[in-house]
Amino acid sequence: MSLDDQDLSSLIRRNATRHAAPDTLRAAIRTQIALADAGRTEPTTPPKAARRAWFTLPWPTASVSFALGLACALFVLPLVQRLDLNGPLDAELVADHVRALQLGPLIEVVSTDRHTVKPWFQGRLDYAPPVFDLAAQGFPLMGGRIEHLRGNAIAALAYARNRHVVEVFVWPSAAMSVPLRSQHKGFNVLHWADGSMQYWAVSDLERTEMERFAQLWREQAAAQ
Amino acid sequence: MSNRQVFEALVLPHLGAAYNLARWLLRSEQAAEDAVQEASMRAFRYIETLRGDDARPWLLGIVRNTCFTMLERTRSQPQSVDFDEAEFEAALGEAQPRDTDPEMQLQKRRTRLQIDAAIRALSPPLREVIVLREFEDLDYAQIAKVVAVPIGTVMSRLARARGKLRAMLSSISLGE
Repeated sequence: MSLDDQDLSSLIRRNATRHAAPDTLRAAIRTQIALADAGRTEPTTPPKAARRAWFTLPWPTASVSFALGLACALFVLPLVQRLDLNGPLDAELVADHVRALQLGPLIEVVSTDRHTVKPWFQGRLDYAPPVFDLAAQGFPLMGGRIEHLRGNAIAALAYARNRHVVEVFVWPSAAMSVPLRSQHKGFNVLHWADGSMQYWAVSDLERTEMERFAQLWREQAAAQ
Repeated sequence: MSNRQVFEALVLPHLGAAYNLARWLLRSEQAAEDAVQEASMRAFRYIETLRGDDARPWLLGIVRNTCFTMLERTRSQPQSVDFDEAEFEAALGEAQPRDTDPEMQLQKRRTRLQIDAAIRALSPPLREVIVLREFEDLDYAQIAKVVAVPIGTVMSRLARARGKLRAMLSSISLGE
């Protein structure tokens, strides 16, 4: 018994899974478009109309915008104060990551032993970045190096995940934050802070894997 | 109408089709969401190029390009095979039906899982023509436009995809 095209067609149409777009996706896209649109038309829009538009935004837009504002106030502002940052950091860290992968050195101190990597930073930085061994959880330590970001020397740690590399940029910060994700040129950037240091993990790994990495890191940090 | 209004009126209604295509082409829900989001931003940026065209194939074209770019970026296996037997077996193995399902439901569920697994095992170029044809009901000319290949190529890919699916699914049709 074999199927003709018609049978096959109706078999698929009747039975195969049609994936429905989640409502959150629709909301996220509308927000994104609204923000992009606002950014583009702002100079020509009278302020009064802009304010009215704000109040008539659907609530997901308003709450997302509010969350963004809160995130800025909590996490970006302390950062700006410390490093005098005035632009988006993701792009620079991704560029640093890509350059290290392309031209090197990705790793200046090659070691899977955190007791080799951590002391290597002595005398090279004015702070001691935490270094964790996550090999048992599937993220073996590859080593570390010094990166220069806007005139500051910062620590960069490299971890392997299958054939991917996760780089974690570490420098001091008094801020506290849960991991926040962003994307730049296909790279995932995950940023969090624990009150003594802030961390920026950059990788082409999938979001869930990145989040797992951050979770493991935070567990290790909390256990110390 | 502002660009945003055009986007909301003409493009947004096809978000379901866009997500379904992306979800079939990519491996995870997250990847599909990322792709649709990226494609939507691109669609908004180039909304002027839409003009009088049908918005659905236009958007699907942007979505599939975004998906293939993402697939290339994370390419970990050779894509020369039309049909990945191992993938098919793995997907079937994962799909263990629960014993508590009533008989009819069980049969329906099994059919669905089997068809899903067979489509999923097709190589992305074959999978996309099947999704565009069978799920979105696009005609050859529209598919050719979305995929940016000649109509003849669309037809031969569809024939190849159907041949593979037929071979895997012929046993199911008996139960219909």
